[in-house]
Amino acid sequence: MIQLYHVTKQYAGEAPALRDVTLRVEKGEFVFVTGPSGAGKSTLIRLIFCAEAATSGQLLVFGRNLAKVRPSQVPYLRRAIGVVFQDFKLLPDRTVAENVAFPLEVRGLFPKDVRRKVQGMLRSVGLELKAGKFPLSLSGGEQQRVAVARALVGDPALLLADEPTGNLDPERTLEVMELLQAANARGTTVVVATHDRQLLERYKRRILALERGQLVSDGAQVRQAGTA
Amino acid sequence: MTALVQRPLYFCRRALEAMARGPRVALVATGTIFVAVLVTGLFAAALQGAGALLSNWAGEVQISVYLDQDADLAAARAAAAAAAPGRTVEAVSAAEALRRFRTALGPQGALLDGVGTEVLPPSVEVHAPGIHLPEARALAARLMAVPGAREVDFGNAWLERLERALSRLRVVGLALLGAVAAGAAVLVANTLRLGVLARRDEIEIMKLVGATDAFVETPFLIEGLLQGLFGGSLAVLVLTLAAELGLPRLTSALGVALPFGRDELLPASLLAGLALGGAALGLAASALAVRRELGRS
Repeated sequence: MIQLYHVTKQYAGEAPALRDVTLRVEKGEFVFVTGPSGAGKSTLIRLIFCAEAATSGQLLVFGRNLAKVRPSQVPYLRRAIGVVFQDFKLLPDRTVAENVAFPLEVRGLFPKDVRRKVQGMLRSVGLELKAGKFPLSLSGGEQQRVAVARALVGDPALLLADEPTGNLDPERTLEVMELLQAANARGTTVVVATHDRQLLERYKRRILALERGQLVSDGAQVRQAGTA
Repeated sequence: MTALVQRPLYFCRRALEAMARGPRVALVATGTIFVAVLVTGLFAAALQGAGALLSNWAGEVQISVYLDQDADLAAARAAAAAAAPGRTVEAVSAAEALRRFRTALGPQGALLDGVGTEVLPPSVEVHAPGIHLPEARALAARLMAVPGAREVDFGNAWLERLERALSRLRVVGLALLGAVAAGAAVLVANTLRLGVLARRDEIEIMKLVGATDAFVETPFLIEGLLQGLFGGSLAVLVLTLAAELGLPRLTSALGVALPFGRDELLPASLLAGLALGGAALGLAASALAVRRELGRS
């Protein structure tokens, strides 16, 4: 599903955000990417959904070398990837249903199909009664569930979540994690970037640990040294 | 409903919803286009008016073919009429020329007492309203072939000055019109860019969920087109009303009949051009603004 070979990402005038990272995520896996702030977690996520290009090395997603994907093809690649952010990235002047409908409208689905799928997705994240509300009238946990619903409504093969629980209290964190687990159970590959040790300890999943842009461990255990 | 119909309707709905969500930005954009088209239209109308004024002066051009005293006036008139088809040709005998001169002198006409009719030559007068310099030159050359013709005068120096003035007015006017239109385009592009910047988050999210550039761009283009069409049409309406109401007042204030009416000042082609120009301005400015943002993202 995701393969990195000696990937380096360097921003001008700064230390490399990622250094010589080689890793592989298989289809259907649930993987945590962890590390302290500035370790390169968000950069890794951004490289995978083509928000940026690697400075060197090879990055393959769905078997396609991202360096060779033409800019005009990036939108079609992104339709197979759902992304969730710490700050939700919801449009405050659109209702919950309209926010969730976005990825389906982009695909050109007929309005009745969009409505049906959005209703089903909101039901599955427990927000069917909030469809007509605006994001700012919802709690943080509810907003993140809307963001997860938007990421999942297009049935993506890959779900990327960058600190999805960073702004949530423990109870809301569990709700969002349950949604990600459920998506993974349905076959979606899930990559979650987080520095929350409790999450890593609670969910015994594969952990990719980054430090100063380097992959320092790859396994199921939370490292004792450092944050992860 | 097929996808072919559904897609354009979707984009139109999105454009209208966006304008309804941000009415202030839409109003500012429409207002900017309105002002830009109005200023351009006023300038174009002023150019039309100045051109009409100068053409009106040119309308008084008269070509005189001075003849020998013993020339056959009737034959000369017939030859001149053949050389200037469609134009009014008048034979003026020496006696008639003297009489006209005396009339023109008014109270000083008595000075001509005792002057014989042979002092002024008989002539053939060709009235050539609206004639241009090259045409006048060609006609003068043809009139030189009139039997008994001694000299042809078409007010060469005056007509040349007038032609030069008209030509300069056209060049300077078009350059200024271009500058005004370019300034207006920059102003409109910057205003519409504010609208795009206000929706930067929306663009980012659309790109995130897999929207193509065309998908992001199309509603913005429709918005620009509609705002441009509306602003341009409003400017056309205001210009037409201003000309309709202002020209009679100007005529009465100046005390002379103006050589142009609303149709000459604001011909239908100019009004259509201004309305469509407004739409094109909105479309181009939107495209510029949204492409800059897409390039950035």
